[in-house]
Amino acid sequence: MYGLYEFVQGISVWLMGIVGWIFDFITLQGVADWFRSSGVVWFLTNFIVALLVFIVGFLVSITFIWEERKVLGRLMDRRGTQVGVLGLFQNFADGLKAFVKEIIIPTEVDKWVYDAAPVILIGFSALMIGLIPMSDSWMLSNLPAGLLMVFAIFSIAPFAILIGGWASNNKYTVMGGMRAAAQLISYEVPLLLSLVGVVVLVGSFSFADIVHFQQSHTWLVIPQIIGFIVFTVAAMAEVERIPFDLPEAEAELVEGWMTEYGGMRFGLMMLSEYIRAYAACSVAVLLFLGGWDGPSFIWPEIWFILKVLMLFALWIWVRGALVRVTTKQILGLGWTRLLPLALVNLAVAVTLRVTGVF
Amino acid sequence: MTEPKPRPKRNLKPKGIMLRPLAVTLRVTLRTTKNSPATVLYPWERLIIADGYRGRPGLVMDKCIGCGICEKICPTTCIELVEVELEGKGKVKRPQVNLGRCMMCGYCAEYCPKNAMLVTPEYELATYSRQDLIYDPFRLQYEDRPGCEVDLIEIKPSELGTGAKGHSIKGATAGLRDLPQVEDKKCISCSKCEKVCPADAVTMIEVGKNEKGRPIKRPKFDGEKCVACEQCLDNCPKDAITMKEV
Amino acid sequence: MTEMWLNMGPQHPMTHGLWNLRVKIDGETITEAEPVIGYLHRGWEKLAEHRMYPQIIPMADRLCYGASMSWSHLYCMAAEEMMGVEIPERAKYIRTIVLEAQRIGSHLMWLAALGTDLGSYTIFLYPMRERELFLDLMQNLCGARMTYNYPRIGGVRNDVPPNFERDFTKVLDHFEKRIPDYEALCDESTIFRMRTEDVGKLTAEQAKNLGVTGPNLRGSGVDYDIRRDDPYEAYADIDFNVCVQQGCDAYARYRVRMDEMYESVDIIRQAIKKMPDGPVRVRPPRTAPKGKTGFAHVEDPRGEGLMYIIGNGDDRPYRLKVRSPIFVTVSAAPYMLKGYKVADVPSIMGSVDMCLGETDR
Repeated sequence: MYGLYEFVQGISVWLMGIVGWIFDFITLQGVADWFRSSGVVWFLTNFIVALLVFIVGFLVSITFIWEERKVLGRLMDRRGTQVGVLGLFQNFADGLKAFVKEIIIPTEVDKWVYDAAPVILIGFSALMIGLIPMSDSWMLSNLPAGLLMVFAIFSIAPFAILIGGWASNNKYTVMGGMRAAAQLISYEVPLLLSLVGVVVLVGSFSFADIVHFQQSHTWLVIPQIIGFIVFTVAAMAEVERIPFDLPEAEAELVEGWMTEYGGMRFGLMMLSEYIRAYAACSVAVLLFLGGWDGPSFIWPEIWFILKVLMLFALWIWVRGALVRVTTKQILGLGWTRLLPLALVNLAVAVTLRVTGVF
Repeated sequence: MTEPKPRPKRNLKPKGIMLRPLAVTLRVTLRTTKNSPATVLYPWERLIIADGYRGRPGLVMDKCIGCGICEKICPTTCIELVEVELEGKGKVKRPQVNLGRCMMCGYCAEYCPKNAMLVTPEYELATYSRQDLIYDPFRLQYEDRPGCEVDLIEIKPSELGTGAKGHSIKGATAGLRDLPQVEDKKCISCSKCEKVCPADAVTMIEVGKNEKGRPIKRPKFDGEKCVACEQCLDNCPKDAITMKEV
Repeated sequence: MTEMWLNMGPQHPMTHGLWNLRVKIDGETITEAEPVIGYLHRGWEKLAEHRMYPQIIPMADRLCYGASMSWSHLYCMAAEEMMGVEIPERAKYIRTIVLEAQRIGSHLMWLAALGTDLGSYTIFLYPMRERELFLDLMQNLCGARMTYNYPRIGGVRNDVPPNFERDFTKVLDHFEKRIPDYEALCDESTIFRMRTEDVGKLTAEQAKNLGVTGPNLRGSGVDYDIRRDDPYEAYADIDFNVCVQQGCDAYARYRVRMDEMYESVDIIRQAIKKMPDGPVRVRPPRTAPKGKTGFAHVEDPRGEGLMYIIGNGDDRPYRLKVRSPIFVTVSAAPYMLKGYKVADVPSIMGSVDMCLGETDR
């Protein structure tokens, strides 16, 4: 069957044909030819493909919010959200509420920095969605260094959080911002190290190559099980979920570094947290759990989304069962436990490669 | 207290880092997916209320005599007797409750001598303004159902340990209620106590004539009808009446 | 970085009530702490001087709304001692049963608040689900779910409803199977243990000098329980253990309260079996002689509560003094907090079980 790019290309050729015919009709020959040229078709194709990939990724991120509320509800012996059919309308209700809220800005904030922090956060998070492929054809482009690119964007968040917390002119947000920065920076290292094992085994940074490797050999969760566990724990800390959500610990710091943001800014920042969770879960699925590998009676894109949702259900389960960890224990856990495990994982991967098993 | 038996020891060390909490939450998730969870979907479903539930106070207009015991016993002073026009009785005083102050303690129903004040199971009482929370006597009415009347049993201290059955605190017979008594020297025969008594328990008896030839009257209190509301005590201009306790 | 004073409260999502905890922090370490209370002062003791004796009972319920029956019962005990009223045997047993059920309900609410402070809403919802069962039992008994107005001077308000024994047995059996669930979520979770062990240490000497009582004192190793040492109501006839832990930290205080829940279940079962028949209410006198005093102390779920009442010759008291256990424990908070981190504050103050209603009165 045709891939997405060919499909959309066919549609845009057809569309530009119609537009050109209209301009032919009103005898503007030059404009019609321009519309039918390959440059315009190429631009339109890429634009529509980017839009589709972004929208599907965005919708899956929003589904994460719904899934979290329902699964967490059942775990606590209650129903989750009930707005709309099965609660699916809740996200739109929340978004509408965030739009119409009054935005209160404290007087003494640092205006440029205060405005820039949510923009940086949501902008880079949205950029990440497009870079994650869902199958062989449903992707924006097969970057040769896709993995590096995703994680480079992933790591800009501590910067935005720190400046957002500082600019709000509030003792609590400063403390929250600094705690968040310490936590996120110290968990970057195990996160990236656990991925290096996969890259060593496969030999390439691009997502499509990694998934093809898993389709031909085995799912990489089996030889790299330690790496999978380290990646999961470090990703939960990076995305600031319980048990690692000290930066927004409600019992002490109200809402942490996001306290002074109101209205849609707050809505966008919450959304960016879920987008980062989606990015981390999808990377785990692509690298360790086989990507879009699966029996062919369902489309590979659907397999990918199902796997991502099930991995997120595991994250929600952990959230429901555990209490928060304090700063000292978080940092201790990151440096003294996860880092050696990641190095052990790397050694296993190198051994497997050198001895020719893979 | 004899020696209690010691509690069996249980092993409470953490196993794995998080295995037991995860196991417990998994079990609960599976159970609530199979059966329904513990949520009550208010307002489509409601909890079942017990029989003697103390919601807002209610009034049975026919039984009320306007004695004012509920007004005196209310801890938050939310009951006030107001004049209303009733057919067949003219202008009488009936209670009006300010639900904004009411703490739903049930004392008005407990102490009402005629079981006219009730505790009702109504609890959805939100309104849009403070004035709507003041329930005048007509709005306060409620249909009497079993469980709404509060009729409690007590015994006298002299009966403790004798296995006596006990009587209602509203006093079924005359010997069990506090009765007013008048001091002869202070009474001036103004008959005010007869006029304000809501239960028609006071009759003025002539006991002789004074020097000007006018009759000297002294009130006589009927033990069967008196409800110990202390209206005569409050309204006597010379404070001649006191209550004699049982 | 220089030291700064941080205000935790009075508007704060930390669930315990309306007070202000000022801590002086140096980076993340606490060097000094200063609690500021009084935001919930309602003038209760002054109000009580203008009310008749029966009218004060529902007011006493609102002193601490988490465990309201223990406060109105305390007031009734003090008034009974002042007026010289003796209550029937059945009333004593009913009061014991209801008090222990209140203790379980109050400890469940404490556990829920502790879970919220530590970040896990699961530990919040599971005890609240069981507390609903106990509130339903109380609703069957006296008609209200939270502020009961049930004890009277001279006994209790009314006799037990039909099916009382069957309902209680069902609830207790179900509840006893659920306590291991809470322990699995809390005790057997490494992270919970990491957060509550070795924080908030209060040695036995410090606790005794500061006047701390109740589970906070028993968590520091001191064996003192008013139910055993100075028994009131029907406690003299019932066998139970006094739960003491030697740890002195937040985990020990948590452990004491969990053990007390098991003990309360036992006490209720024994009291239901031993309850005699008879009346439940004695008619008290209306007035109290001038200058006569009454004094009572009980083992509240939070510590030792105490009331002292002086009569005035007519039907209102002259003075009514309340001693609340948390008022004293709040003054012990600086000793428990010094030297620990800001992130430990919720677990320490959560293990102390604050209830602001009785602190500020």
